[in-house]
Amino acid sequence: MHFEDFHLGRRFDGGPYAVTRDEIVEFAAEFDAQPHHLDEEAAKRSILGGLAASGWHTCAMTMRMFADALMPLADARGGIGSPEGRWMKPVRPGDVLRIEAEVVDLKPSASRPHGFVTFACKVFSQREQVALILMTPVIGMRS
Amino acid sequence: MYWEDVAAGTRRELGSYTFTQDEIVRFARKYDPQPFHVDPEAAQRSIFGGIVASGWHTAAIWMKLAIADRQKPGNASPLMRAGVSPGYQDMRWLKPVRPGTRLTYSSEVVGKTELKSRRDVAIVLTLNEARDDAGELFFSFIGKGLVQRRPR
Repeated sequence: MHFEDFHLGRRFDGGPYAVTRDEIVEFAAEFDAQPHHLDEEAAKRSILGGLAASGWHTCAMTMRMFADALMPLADARGGIGSPEGRWMKPVRPGDVLRIEAEVVDLKPSASRPHGFVTFACKVFSQREQVALILMTPVIGMRS
Repeated sequence: MYWEDVAAGTRRELGSYTFTQDEIVRFARKYDPQPFHVDPEAAQRSIFGGIVASGWHTAAIWMKLAIADRQKPGNASPLMRAGVSPGYQDMRWLKPVRPGTRLTYSSEVVGKTELKSRRDVAIVLTLNEARDDAGELFFSFIGKGLVQRRPR
């Protein structure tokens, strides 16, 4: 798929991604070493009410689902950013995530043979209809 | 320190981090396995001309340095009192981060907003940046941190 094959409203589904306690703790130990991402007891007393993944970990897992869904289809030139991300609900050990990524904006590049595709990417857990995060990676696609 | 004590304009240097090829590839194999993040030969042929870090890796290192900064003696940040965030805005990956690139991260308070729904916490907005040794901007975003309010 090239830039011209994307159109507004086109949707790509991704996942599942099974979230384990070990992976939550491993990511947090390296990048986000706060008690509510590392320790069950401390997490119960925190604002999150129990062990939860780092929001950056949720972004990373979302990127993985997004890459797995899009890579076989498109020759991407890399992302240039993410206009917005919202961490709506905690992601817990045992959650199974999936994504719905919808094309919401298209911009041809004036100078290069590619264009930028913006996706609104919703992340759901197995508790359906609960949007976990919304983020909109902007990816360059070859013309 | 509470939300009420946070002053707009306060800027902190969070520290520096040098990205290695091994770490770039290890992160990307797990979370962002696009060829220019994981495969040196494919990366050579890509638009980047070599391996580059996933933008989410660059972001995760911001978090790592912010946590380390808070844990330094005497640096008890108000963000420690809640330590969670409702989200971010305007994240930009401006230049490719290559193996050997050393980025210095900073965080500046640029706004404060109250919440209608709760009285115990409120939001501090920060402009976060990462620059290389030449001062070139590689990465930036607006962060939102939930901070505890002074009890009444």
